[in-house]
Amino acid sequence: MELFLQQLVNAIALGSVYSLAALGLTLVFGVLRIPNLAHGALYMIGAYVTYFALTSYGIPYIVAIGISAAVLALIGVIVERLVFHPLRNAPHTHHLIAAVGVLFFLQSGAQVLWGSEFREMPSPFTGIVNVFGLNIGQQRLVVIFASILVMVALYLFLKKTVPGQTIEAIEQDRTGASLVGIDANRVSMMTFAISAALAAIAASLVAPINLVFPTMGEALNLKVFAIIILGGLGSIPGAIVGGFALALAEVFSSTYISNAFSEAIGFLFLLVVLAVRPTGLFSKGA
Amino acid sequence: MWRSRRKLMVLPLALAAFFMAACGGGGGEGGGSGDGGEVVNIGYSGPLSGGASLYGENVLSGIEMAVEDLNEEGVEIDGQPVTFEIASLDDRYLPNEAATNAQRLVQQDDAPVVFIPHSGGIFAAQSINTDRNEFLLGAYSSDPAILEQENPLTMMIPPRFDNYMEPFVGTTMDEFGDSLGLIPTESEYGQEWTDQVTEEWEAQGGEVLSNNGVDYTTTTDYAGPVTQALSEDPDVLFIGGPSQPTALVIEAARNQGFEGGFIVMDQAKVEEMEEFTSEENINGSVGVMPLIESDEAGTEDFVTRYEEEISEDRLPVSEVGYNYQAMHVVAKAMELAGSTDDPQAIRENIEPALAEVEDEYKVINFPEGFTEEGHLAGPVVATFVEDGEYTELEVPQEQ
Repeated sequence: MELFLQQLVNAIALGSVYSLAALGLTLVFGVLRIPNLAHGALYMIGAYVTYFALTSYGIPYIVAIGISAAVLALIGVIVERLVFHPLRNAPHTHHLIAAVGVLFFLQSGAQVLWGSEFREMPSPFTGIVNVFGLNIGQQRLVVIFASILVMVALYLFLKKTVPGQTIEAIEQDRTGASLVGIDANRVSMMTFAISAALAAIAASLVAPINLVFPTMGEALNLKVFAIIILGGLGSIPGAIVGGFALALAEVFSSTYISNAFSEAIGFLFLLVVLAVRPTGLFSKGA
Repeated sequence: MWRSRRKLMVLPLALAAFFMAACGGGGGEGGGSGDGGEVVNIGYSGPLSGGASLYGENVLSGIEMAVEDLNEEGVEIDGQPVTFEIASLDDRYLPNEAATNAQRLVQQDDAPVVFIPHSGGIFAAQSINTDRNEFLLGAYSSDPAILEQENPLTMMIPPRFDNYMEPFVGTTMDEFGDSLGLIPTESEYGQEWTDQVTEEWEAQGGEVLSNNGVDYTTTTDYAGPVTQALSEDPDVLFIGGPSQPTALVIEAARNQGFEGGFIVMDQAKVEEMEEFTSEENINGSVGVMPLIESDEAGTEDFVTRYEEEISEDRLPVSEVGYNYQAMHVVAKAMELAGSTDDPQAIRENIEPALAEVEDEYKVINFPEGFTEEGHLAGPVVATFVEDGEYTELEVPQEQ
C-alpha cells in the first residue's frame, strides 16, 4: 500500500508536467492546425532562461519562472512571425518541416551558446515532507500545486476574458470568427505566446528534480504528442487527462508489470484508445 | 508588404549561417604553427552533438591537450620535424556514422590513427581498419568484447570493466549486506555491466533483486524507479549512466531513506556526481578513482592546465586523462617506428613506447604493458568513498 501511494504521488507529479507541456501544444494545434514539433525545444529554452535568471542574476525561483514564461512568450511570438506566419497558406508538410527546422536551430543554438553539460537548477524547495509515512520531496508538491494553479488560470483566461474567448472562437470556426471581427493574426501570436510560456513553466518546475541540458526536450516531445493524440487533437481537457493518464500508465505499469515495458505501455495504451476512439478521448469531432 | 517580409526572412537565415559557422569552426583547432615539416592528422570520431556530446568533448579535449604538448615540445620522426593536427568529426554516437567518419578521416586527411570513444563505433571501425585503408584504432571503451575481435590494429585505452566486478561486489557486500537492487541506465553498455554485476554478486553468494533500470537520458523523474527498487529492501544498489543523472538517482534513494551502499558503473564519475548531490549522499559508493585524486607524476599540472585551458567549472575526468596519455603513447610509438603513416609499424612499437613516455605526461593509471590482444594494461586503482574520503581500492588485473 505504501508503495502504491508513493508511486501515486510520483505519477501525479509527472502527470502535471506532462499536462502543462501538452496544453501548450494542443492550444497551438487547435488554433493554427500546426503540429509544433519545436515544442520540446521551447521547453528546453524555458528551463535555461529560468536557470540563468536564478544562478546569474540571483532572482528568486518563483519570479524566475515568471520571467522565463515572459521571455518564452516573446520567443513564441517571434517564431510565429518569422516561421509559421509566412507559411500560413502553404501546404501542411511545410509547417512540419519548418517546425523541425526550429527544433534543430534551438537545440544546436543552445549547445553552442551554453555548452552541452548538464546543469543543476537550484530550487529553494529541497526539503522532504513526511505524509502518512511517505517521503515526498517538497519540489514535487510545488510541481503539483503550481501546475494546478496554472491550469485553473488558463481555464479562467479562456472562458472568462475576451482575449481568451477569441482563441476559443478561432478554434471553433476560423471563418466565423473573422466575420465577427476577430483578428486571426493577433490570436495566432497570442496562442504561440501562451503555448511557449506554458512550456517554460513546465520545464522550470521539473528542472530541479531533473537536469537542464540541450536535449532535455527530446524525450518529452514524443510524449506530449502521444498525449494530445490520446486526448484528442486541440482539446484542452484532453491534454490534461491525457497527461495524467500517460504518467499513471507509465509509473504503474513499471511498478506492477515490468520496468522494461513501461515506455512501451504508454504507447500501447494510446493504440488501444485510438482503436476504440480514432479521434481521441475528448475530440470535438473535427 | 513583400519587401518587409523578405527582410524578415533574411534574419533567420543569417542567424542559421552564423550558427553553422560556429559549429563548423570547432573541428580543425589544436594544431600549432608548424614551421615547415610534415603535418600529421590525428583522426577523431565521437559524439559532438546531442545528449552524449559532453562525453565526446571530454575525450577530444584530452587528445587536444596532448597534441598541444607535442607541438610545443617539437617532435621529430625519421629525422623530419612533425606537427600534429586533429581532424574531428561528429558521429552522434552512431556506430555506422563512426565507421563512415573513420573512412573519411583516413582517405581525406590521411590520418594514420583514429580515436573512437564508444564500443558500437569501435566494432564498426574494426570491420574496416584492416582493409584497403589501414588505420590504428584508438579505442576508448572499457568493454572487453572489443579485444575479442582479435583486430590487429586496435589499441584499447581504458581499463577493462570486467576487472572491477570482484572488488566492487566484494567491498560493498562486506560493508552493507548481501541483497542487491538494480537501477542502471538502459543502454547496451549498461546492460552488459548489469549482467556482469549480477553474475559476480551471485557468485559471491548474494541475492540479486529485480531490475529497475531506466534510460538515464530520457527519464524525467527518478523517484518512481527508485521507490520500486527500495520496496524490495536492498542493502546495495547498482546504478550508473552519465554522472549527473546518476547523482540524481543517489539523491532520490537517500531522500527516500536508503542507507546502504552504491556500486557505480564506470561511466559515472564520483567527482562529477559531487557537484549534483551532497558529499554525504555519496558515502558508501564504489566507483572509478577520480583523476584529481590520482597520484601519478603529471596529475597536478594536468589538472591546473585543464582548468586554465579547457574549463573552469568542470573537472578533468578520467576519460580526458586516459586519452591524453594514449595520444602521447601513439606519438612515441611513431617516433620509435620512424613512421607516421604505417599503422602496422606504429602498432608494433606501442609496447616499447610505454617506457619512453615522460613522467610529466602520466596522469592516471598509466599502463605498464600492451597485451597481444591490443590492450594498454596496468595496475588499476578504484575508489571506495568512506566518510567523504576516497580510499583506494586495488583492482586485480586478470585477462
